[in-house]
Amino acid sequence: MLADNINLAFKNIKERKTRVFLTLLGIAIGIMAIVSLMSIGEGMQQAVVGELSSLSDTIIVTTGDISVSSMGGGFSGGNNYFSQRDIEDIQRIDGIKSVDPVLFSSGVVEYNGESQYVSLLGLDSERMTEIFGIEFLGLETGEFMDEGDQNKCIIGHNVAYEYFDVSVYLGSKIKLNGQSLVVSGIYKQQGAGMSVPTDDYAHLTTRDFKKITGQENMTGIMIKVYDIDNAEQIALECENIINDNHGDDDYANSITMSSILESVQQIIGIIQSVLVGIAAIALVVASIGIMNTMLTSVMERTHEIGVMKAIGARNSDVMIVFIMEGVMISLIGGGIGVILGILGAKAFSSVSSSGFMGSPMPIYPVITIFSILISLVIAMIVGVMSSIYPARKAAKMSPIEAVRYE
Amino acid sequence: MKDNYAIVTEELNKIYGKGDTKVTALENVNINIKHGDYIAIIGPSGSGKSTFMNLLGCLDTPTSGKICIENIDVSKLNENDLARIRREKIGFIFQKYNLLPTLSAFENVELAMSFANVNFKKRSERAEKLLDMVGLSHRIGHKPSELSGGEQQRVAIARALANNPSIILADEPTGNVDSKGGNRIMDILEDINNKGETVIVVTHDPNIAKRAKWVIQIRDGMVSAHARR
Repeated sequence: MLADNINLAFKNIKERKTRVFLTLLGIAIGIMAIVSLMSIGEGMQQAVVGELSSLSDTIIVTTGDISVSSMGGGFSGGNNYFSQRDIEDIQRIDGIKSVDPVLFSSGVVEYNGESQYVSLLGLDSERMTEIFGIEFLGLETGEFMDEGDQNKCIIGHNVAYEYFDVSVYLGSKIKLNGQSLVVSGIYKQQGAGMSVPTDDYAHLTTRDFKKITGQENMTGIMIKVYDIDNAEQIALECENIINDNHGDDDYANSITMSSILESVQQIIGIIQSVLVGIAAIALVVASIGIMNTMLTSVMERTHEIGVMKAIGARNSDVMIVFIMEGVMISLIGGGIGVILGILGAKAFSSVSSSGFMGSPMPIYPVITIFSILISLVIAMIVGVMSSIYPARKAAKMSPIEAVRYE
Repeated sequence: MKDNYAIVTEELNKIYGKGDTKVTALENVNINIKHGDYIAIIGPSGSGKSTFMNLLGCLDTPTSGKICIENIDVSKLNENDLARIRREKIGFIFQKYNLLPTLSAFENVELAMSFANVNFKKRSERAEKLLDMVGLSHRIGHKPSELSGGEQQRVAIARALANNPSIILADEPTGNVDSKGGNRIMDILEDINNKGETVIVVTHDPNIAKRAKWVIQIRDGMVSAHARR
């Protein structure tokens, strides 16, 4: 019986190819949106979580703001500074692997006869790669400074290419507060991204930073712990110690990478639901399309329905014929949508890997069997839901009136 | 209830509309049709013969009165039970054949059996046998649009016989068919009757009516005469 219904539905679909094609295009677009958006969302999740997980033993303590965005978290220098005593006190806490001060200030860079204010970051660079992971703060050119290197700096993308009329190149000499430095590297463009926004910074070793600025403006401390489970507790402890040292309950803010990870996951979750929500709207529109097509089909086939009833079809037989037709339209549309969705996701991945929207990391959409299955199930549900009303209408027709209908 | 009758009607009325627009299509029709009868219902157009046929075929319900088909009072049945009577007891042949245009001759015959949940193998065998019986074994894969009027009507006869009903109702079966084709159709109906089935044919063609054992004349919704041929 099922095979008969499928056969009948298939024949009816074949009779109305153009209309069915247009209808299934609607559902195909909806499903395409679901598949591609789900896979991009999943890809985003894996990209961010993958990168952040490797940093989950890190605690950031700062006197400034701590922010979390969908692409990561970060902090900036505040107006208060940490003291050497803070660093030493923190180093005494059990379970801490390393403590690195991060210095923020600003200075005047002279190059090619022009002067510009530039933000300065002091952080020993071998620690930098370890703390942030090279993926995030990768260099466009050059290399990170070695321990003991002097009078070298790495500059951000904007500093190199936007600040001065003539671009700064690797090996160029610049003057920072009157002190000559060699540009040993240029950061990749970061955009709005994870951690320190390096685009507008000049990065020095802590020793050069202190020497040039004459300041020890420690506004951030990067701490690594041995045991990630203790990270939250150690972060609080650090905050308390510093607050006690300065007699201010709100002197320091701390955040662990794992809590950033959680927040990021939440944000990605919201983004994913918004994306899927948009796709759902497309599907609702598509289901109205199916319903419309099926209603037209029921009307056109009133006579046929009458004939089927006259030769003994039950109401349920008639209903199944039409529901089957709706399901077939939506499943064919869903299948096409899945294929288009996979292609769309692949297209997105090739765009994003070439630096889409200044994304700090390429997003590779992840297409799972689950997302394909769920899309097809959704397509089927949409098919059933949107053909129930037309099918009921067909089933309830009086046989004699339907048979007379021409 | 009178036993041994294929169809019995008692005080059968069918009224369309209400008030000023009321039209009485059938009035107090009492008829007994025995098993194995071959009956022609004649009358001018608009006399109510098609209405009567639709009531007998359980396609329509009477305004009042009773119709019993093989001792079942169908005027009291719900939609699904009526569908079962149409499926099991009655084979309906329409003037305009009413085959499903998307299905082949074979599939049209088979469809009727699929509603009766006959399995695929039995269905195929029977559909082939029936199409062979009406002389269309060479046309089983053709769609209605590829068949002549007479051929389509023969497919419709095969379909009407698909579920082995005891009553065949034919509403102007030769109305859209040329005389040669019409004769062939009437021969087949006669054959069916000779095999013991009750056949009721609505017609306005006296030559066709002559072939029946009984002729019932309907005029203005009432049975005005019936006579054995």
